[in-house]
Amino acid sequence: MAFFIDQLLNGLSLGALYALIAVGYTVVYGIVQLINFAHGEIFMIGAFGALSTWIVLGWATGGSTAWWNMPLMLVGGMLVAVLTAVVMERFAYRPLRNAPRLAPLITAIGISIFLQEFIRLFYGEIPGFPDAKAAIPFPQIEFFTGDAVDVGGQLINRGTFFIIAALVVCWAFLWWFVNKTATGRAMQAVSQDPDTSRLMGIDVDRIIVIAFAVGAALAAIAGVAHGVRFGNIDFKMGFLAGLKAFTAAVLGGIGNINGAVVGGLTLGLVESMAASYIPGQFGGAAWKDVWAFVLLILILVFRPQGLLGAKVVDRA
Amino acid sequence: MRIPTVFTPELQKQYHVTGRMVAMAGGLLFAVSAYLPWAYTGAALDNMSYLGGPSTLQFLGLTLGLIVAWCAAMGWIEPWADRRGFARPLIRVSKRVGWTRGSKAMGIGLLAYIVLILVVIAIELRGLVAVEWGGWVALVAALMAFVGTRLLIAGRAPSLERVRSAAWVEIVAIALILLLALLLVAYALNQNDGGIFLSIIAFAGALSAFVLRSGIGAWISEAGQKHRTVLVFSSFLVAFLFPFTQNGSDANMSIATQVLVFAATAVGLNIVVGLAGLLDLGYIAFLGAGAFTAATLSESAFATINWKPPFIVVMLIAGLISASLGLLIGSPTLRVSGDYLAIVTLAFGEIFRITMNNLDGQSGPNLTHGSSGIPAIPNLELFGFDFGKPHVVFGITLGRFSNYFFLMLLIMAVIVLVFTRLNHSRIGRGWVAIREDEKAAEAMGVNVFGLKLLAFAGGAFLAGFAGAVKAHVDVSVIPDQYVFLESAFLLAAVVLGGMGTVIGVILGATLLKLLPEKLRFVSEYRMLLFGLLMVVMMRFRPEGMIPNQRRALEFHSDDEELVQEIEEDLPYEFAEEKS
Repeated sequence: MAFFIDQLLNGLSLGALYALIAVGYTVVYGIVQLINFAHGEIFMIGAFGALSTWIVLGWATGGSTAWWNMPLMLVGGMLVAVLTAVVMERFAYRPLRNAPRLAPLITAIGISIFLQEFIRLFYGEIPGFPDAKAAIPFPQIEFFTGDAVDVGGQLINRGTFFIIAALVVCWAFLWWFVNKTATGRAMQAVSQDPDTSRLMGIDVDRIIVIAFAVGAALAAIAGVAHGVRFGNIDFKMGFLAGLKAFTAAVLGGIGNINGAVVGGLTLGLVESMAASYIPGQFGGAAWKDVWAFVLLILILVFRPQGLLGAKVVDRA
Repeated sequence: MRIPTVFTPELQKQYHVTGRMVAMAGGLLFAVSAYLPWAYTGAALDNMSYLGGPSTLQFLGLTLGLIVAWCAAMGWIEPWADRRGFARPLIRVSKRVGWTRGSKAMGIGLLAYIVLILVVIAIELRGLVAVEWGGWVALVAALMAFVGTRLLIAGRAPSLERVRSAAWVEIVAIALILLLALLLVAYALNQNDGGIFLSIIAFAGALSAFVLRSGIGAWISEAGQKHRTVLVFSSFLVAFLFPFTQNGSDANMSIATQVLVFAATAVGLNIVVGLAGLLDLGYIAFLGAGAFTAATLSESAFATINWKPPFIVVMLIAGLISASLGLLIGSPTLRVSGDYLAIVTLAFGEIFRITMNNLDGQSGPNLTHGSSGIPAIPNLELFGFDFGKPHVVFGITLGRFSNYFFLMLLIMAVIVLVFTRLNHSRIGRGWVAIREDEKAAEAMGVNVFGLKLLAFAGGAFLAGFAGAVKAHVDVSVIPDQYVFLESAFLLAAVVLGGMGTVIGVILGATLLKLLPEKLRFVSEYRMLLFGLLMVVMMRFRPEGMIPNQRRALEFHSDDEELVQEIEEDLPYEFAEEKS
């Protein structure tokens, strides 16, 4: 039983990570019908932004690991990620808004490769920053990392708490933002019909930028959570995580924020359960990514609209 | 992001005469400067330090300078030459050449060429001090040519392709161009200095920009269209002759063979992406499937399947396995959406890599020896011809890689044949229809699903084919050779070269593969540069270097000038019928 709960928590924390990233895919897709393939890289940049914040703070504090570093790191990571996403939208995607659908997708791949290589080659060149060609240990922040917590005899990793708490807070914030604020309602309007929204006086360009920014902020939180949970970050981490998060978004029904959360959690659980309970040679950690992608393909065959999506996706 | 126009039409109207003089003077001065020393010592590039003895690169610069001067001069006599009435046929041809447009392109090319050379000199000899006075003269001359040509009025679009010329003229022209290309490539490849290599690329770039802008390119492509078979056969003949230019050295042949494998795969991918418009991000997996199939069925001591069919059979099996993987992945996803297909193929590529890594006997049945792969794949032996042994033909030794080069050339020919025949068939038109508007195509009775699946499986089959040979060329097959970055690299070749054309993709693949081999700094930054390149290409020239015209139209449907230009070009047969 303890093993099962372990796997359950593992799956949930992994799933929450996917969910946080998947929201970015889903929000952008819902509004501009663009698969922002470079979103995984925003997640990675967020983690590096947080790390950089900590390093810069360390110059003043002598490398303090007190708890108050964490909110500052989160803000720093979010700032860097949002900035990257907004610049990316402005200079790469916006000019292609009416181009054939292949064009933005290829651009997205280009950006993704560019950002990865940029971090790999140049992050370590900044004086005082570690070389990013290999994995970098993420700073151990007091209270957020450290020994597992004993909850009624069950040892639970602190990172797990962090991720799940982050997801709950972000989800609540998103619900409030999308449903209760004027901007959020404008986002809904644009996703339903951009032309009519424009006629109603909504600045569609601004809404698109906000969608990118919201997605990037959540991805940055996920990036920090990844660092806290797994202890290190590297320039490649966005690729697989982004792919999985996209799978999660499709699983939940792309364009649907709740769907992204449900899809992310489901995917995380499936992955961790498949790794522990599939018997024989095809079980185990070595195959868990394969099962996640098999799930993606199965979903596309049997329920292309996803778990919660109502609309059949039909875009060439 | 609009670049402001410095050389406005008003400015051109006022100063075009001065501009022409300045351009001519600049071009001539540049040609003269080739005889001056450009660098302080002979250590940078090829020796540029002599007064009176131009090095090869300086000589290439001289040609460029003369072309600028000539173009500017020809533009000048354009208006009055026609009244005099001497040498009428020549003038009639000359009037159709876009001398001015060509000179503008050449002005930019000349400036880029000399700036590049000066930068390389400065880098190699540490500082601009190493540039001798001749180099500065050349720079000033290039600047004069640039500004001068900018001030010219572009005038009418060239229409050289409308000129009817005798068949032999066209065939000779094709042959000459191909021969020139062969010599240039052979010369460039023998340079181990990255700076020289880059300069030659710049020279070729400037020259082709001139050829394209001046309308000579259109004439050549028209001639190529008319004598398609001649063009295709002589291209292959030239490629076939390439190993004989290498004097028995196998170093360049190794690169050339890798380039061919890469290009063949890219052309295969171009069927899927360029013709059918399906974005396949896991294409490298099909190449890998072919390679692993060939490796496990090879005579290697590490091969895990104890059945050794002849290589022809292996190739077919490799192609079929790849094609069935394509069907497996394509059939569920082709029904939904283009974007989904891209991501699913990406996921499939990852599944393939992980699976090959896991089939090591521990996490799965032992098929591939996991991450260490299958080494020691023996050389091919076809019809008693051993690919591992050097052969002497006409006194020139052709080494191991030359043998594989010839084999790859054959496979390339098959792939190009498949590509062009499909492109011009009912199937190819169906693909284009699907790419442009799936719903309309379906309404017109095109079997959308079947054709998409055919493109997908067909592309996979060709990749499997190429993979089987790659296994033997590379000697070993390792899962980590078949990662996503390689797929992205292939896609970059297709995008850069031009979606939907064979020659463009071959050019793109060659450049992408050659540059990192010849330029050290490029191999470190290559992925960074190519990522950036993909973004920039999509922004400014999504149709690629050598575009398919129909494709270009799709990407620029709001650019009315271009639409008109292409529409004028496209129905060539109609234009002829009317007149």
